[in-house]
Amino acid sequence: MPELSKMKKPDVKVVLLGDMNVGKTSLLHRYTERKFKDTISTVGGAFFLKQWGPYNISIWDTAGREQFHGLGSMYCRGAAAIILTYDVTNWQSLSELEERFLSLTDTANHDCIYALVGNKVDLTDPKAHQSQDSDVASEDRTDSEDMRTEPQLPTPPTSPASLSGVMLQKQVTPEDAAALYGRILRYKGLDETSSQPAEKMCFETSAKTGYNVDSLFEALFDLVLPSILRQRNENQESPTVDLEECRGSSNKRAKSSCC
Amino acid sequence: MERDNHQEGEAQGVKISDPPSVNNPPGDNLATSLSLLGNHMFPDVAERNDGASISKEETPVSLCSDVTAEQQSLDAELHSNQVTKLETEETENSECFNDVCTQQSDGGSEGAATDNDQSDSGEFVVTMLAKAKLEEQGIGVKGRSSPLLEAGTQESPAFMSHRDEDVTAESWRQHRKHVFVLSEAGKPIYSRYGSEEALSSTMGVMMALVSFVQSGDNIIRSVYSEEHTVVFLQKGPLVLVCVSSSRQSERQLRGELLYVYYQIISMLTQASISRIFEHKKNYDLRRLLAGSEKILDGLLNLVDSDPSFLLAAVHCLPLASSLRDSLSQILQKAITPNLVFSILIANNQLLTIVQEKTVIEDTRLEPADVHLLLNLIGASSAFQAGEIWTPICLPLFNPDCYFYAYISYLDPPECTVCLLLLSTDKEAFYAVAECKRKIEEAMVAQNSLSLIAKVQSYSVSQVGVSDLRHFMYKPFDVPDNYRQLTQFTSPEMEAPYSSEEEKMRLLDLYRYMHSRIHSTSRPLKLIYHVAERETLLAWVTSKFELYTCFSPLVTKACAITAITKLLRWIKKEEDRLFIRYPPKYSTTPNPSKSSRGGKSDQQDATDNGFLSLL
Repeated sequence: MPELSKMKKPDVKVVLLGDMNVGKTSLLHRYTERKFKDTISTVGGAFFLKQWGPYNISIWDTAGREQFHGLGSMYCRGAAAIILTYDVTNWQSLSELEERFLSLTDTANHDCIYALVGNKVDLTDPKAHQSQDSDVASEDRTDSEDMRTEPQLPTPPTSPASLSGVMLQKQVTPEDAAALYGRILRYKGLDETSSQPAEKMCFETSAKTGYNVDSLFEALFDLVLPSILRQRNENQESPTVDLEECRGSSNKRAKSSCC
Repeated sequence: MERDNHQEGEAQGVKISDPPSVNNPPGDNLATSLSLLGNHMFPDVAERNDGASISKEETPVSLCSDVTAEQQSLDAELHSNQVTKLETEETENSECFNDVCTQQSDGGSEGAATDNDQSDSGEFVVTMLAKAKLEEQGIGVKGRSSPLLEAGTQESPAFMSHRDEDVTAESWRQHRKHVFVLSEAGKPIYSRYGSEEALSSTMGVMMALVSFVQSGDNIIRSVYSEEHTVVFLQKGPLVLVCVSSSRQSERQLRGELLYVYYQIISMLTQASISRIFEHKKNYDLRRLLAGSEKILDGLLNLVDSDPSFLLAAVHCLPLASSLRDSLSQILQKAITPNLVFSILIANNQLLTIVQEKTVIEDTRLEPADVHLLLNLIGASSAFQAGEIWTPICLPLFNPDCYFYAYISYLDPPECTVCLLLLSTDKEAFYAVAECKRKIEEAMVAQNSLSLIAKVQSYSVSQVGVSDLRHFMYKPFDVPDNYRQLTQFTSPEMEAPYSSEEEKMRLLDLYRYMHSRIHSTSRPLKLIYHVAERETLLAWVTSKFELYTCFSPLVTKACAITAITKLLRWIKKEEDRLFIRYPPKYSTTPNPSKSSRGGKSDQQDATDNGFLSLL
């Protein structure tokens, strides 16, 4: 049933970018539906609205396929946060971010924040099999189990051959991601001291087990709040019509209820 | 000219086989390589009946291209054979599939005489094929066992069951219909079953066949063997091949390949495909199509199970005209600049469609384009959440430009009623999303969703004609609905056609009737066909095309009366069964913008990131 709730204007825009098959749709699906299921390669981009406290956050889940590359800059226009996603078992997916996706972010807000997310970490790190995420309240955790059997014992992180068979070789380390984060800041001409530190903006997640997924989105949402507030203030102060905002205003009911 | 494009192996193949072909009639060489392909793909058939299968394969080639005088005469013979057969059919008014088979093999055995010398020119192909086979096995095994290999080809999607198939297994050969897409350089682009990598050498052989025939200034169109029909379709830089044991006509199979081609165009546009291959002949198109395999898979499944494709018409959901009108009005009111089509779909059937005025003056929406849109929606369950914004090309409308499609379900979480809005403006997402909100509001106000939920397709019993089991009726354009979307109507398939096998069997019968009606050599107007378990009557006039299925005990007189009744019933229900007058709206102050080849679209086609790849 379509809720006829009053149209909600998105306050801020978050975009998921990354090569195909890194798990962008799965990450978002895990976060919004609290499930992991087989997804089909995204066509174009998919628009979601997430209620975050009193704010509406629009999330664009984009297609990673080269076929849709041309649309990327359109999805990124005016974005407050961009989630650059890669697959920790695939080095190529990290370098694609730099080669193919970084230039798309040129249309984002000047104060846009960037997060680097290494997904599929359940394939390389046994610790990611526990979807438990210490810093997040875990009311929904019970339904986050899936096809993969969850390990009952905390396995030492050095044994890469447990439970569901083979552990894959990790091709991208957190250090690689942090280095890329530094290069992104330089590319954007941002000052490293005034920007968010790499430790805070580089994540390793598993959409399959739910590991670190909530903390990723929630940390980001918290970080974009200042951007929302600033925008609101600006709008109140300035009588000028912001075309981008007007377009944005033609939006959208919320689909998911409050978190 | 195309020979320049071929890569090492294939180019070699063509070259080596060239000199002997100067002396021999080209047909012989061809027959040999064809038989080799047969050997390769259907070894059992070929081994069991080697000589015969070669000759049979040769005949159809002669059917399609005038190769030699010898073959032409054979051609004529075959034709006369068919003609007599058809005449018998008309007078006797009965026929079944067996006749057709014998007829085919008759043609084949006659052809046997023309086939003799095959050794010299074929030798190299033999080695090539032997090599190919070995490679294939190697790859087949490796591909499945080595995770490194998977990681290496990061473009290839997560392995899905049927992509994982062992292409050397008997079960792979048993598939009813294979479809392959390759580039002119012989690079695999798509295979319905099995991974393209594992099939690269098979596709190489296919390309060798195509270019071999091409080198003789000819075009290979089809190959017939006892159990299989192989149909080739060349479209720009792409070659599409269908290997079918479905007994469909060559024309039908070619039509299906065309749908596959169109679906690829709908994702990439013809212009960008040509551009890509102009720059780099051995470009791996899978790079751009990666992730779209499921859309092609879904299309082929639909083609097999949905008669819309056979009839080249759209099936719309029967709806009280008052409800349909009110839905149309809702769509008509929710407009924004550059919106060109608003389409409402329930359960993969059309509810209503509203078009931009200037668009409809220029052209009309072709059923094939609607089929591609419906398939896109059906093949992407990912659509069920959120609102999608994606470029899509309607190849029959304009093969070189993109539309931007907004897709959203109106009844989550059931996800049966889907709204599709097409705009020419890449940036219009928020404006179009706003239209959806208006539509949603209006539908809630009018309680439309619950009314739609009650709508069902109809049962043949409502027609009130005993013995009538099923029918498909496709009216042609008549003055009062000129330029209307071509549609057809058909009741649910009920017992005895409720199981999947029986449904398929009935569809196969319809396909057979369709192929006879639309035969290129001898089209028919009326067929009364007594099959084993039912009696079918197909009838085409200037006003409609009708296929009916009766119980086996019906008499001819009964069937004729029944059809009269049926036509009367359809006339009465017309307003409910069809979208009679597709409504229009006007969204473009500047009419040229939305019309064919609008400038803005051209622009989009070029800056869609393809150039950066080259």
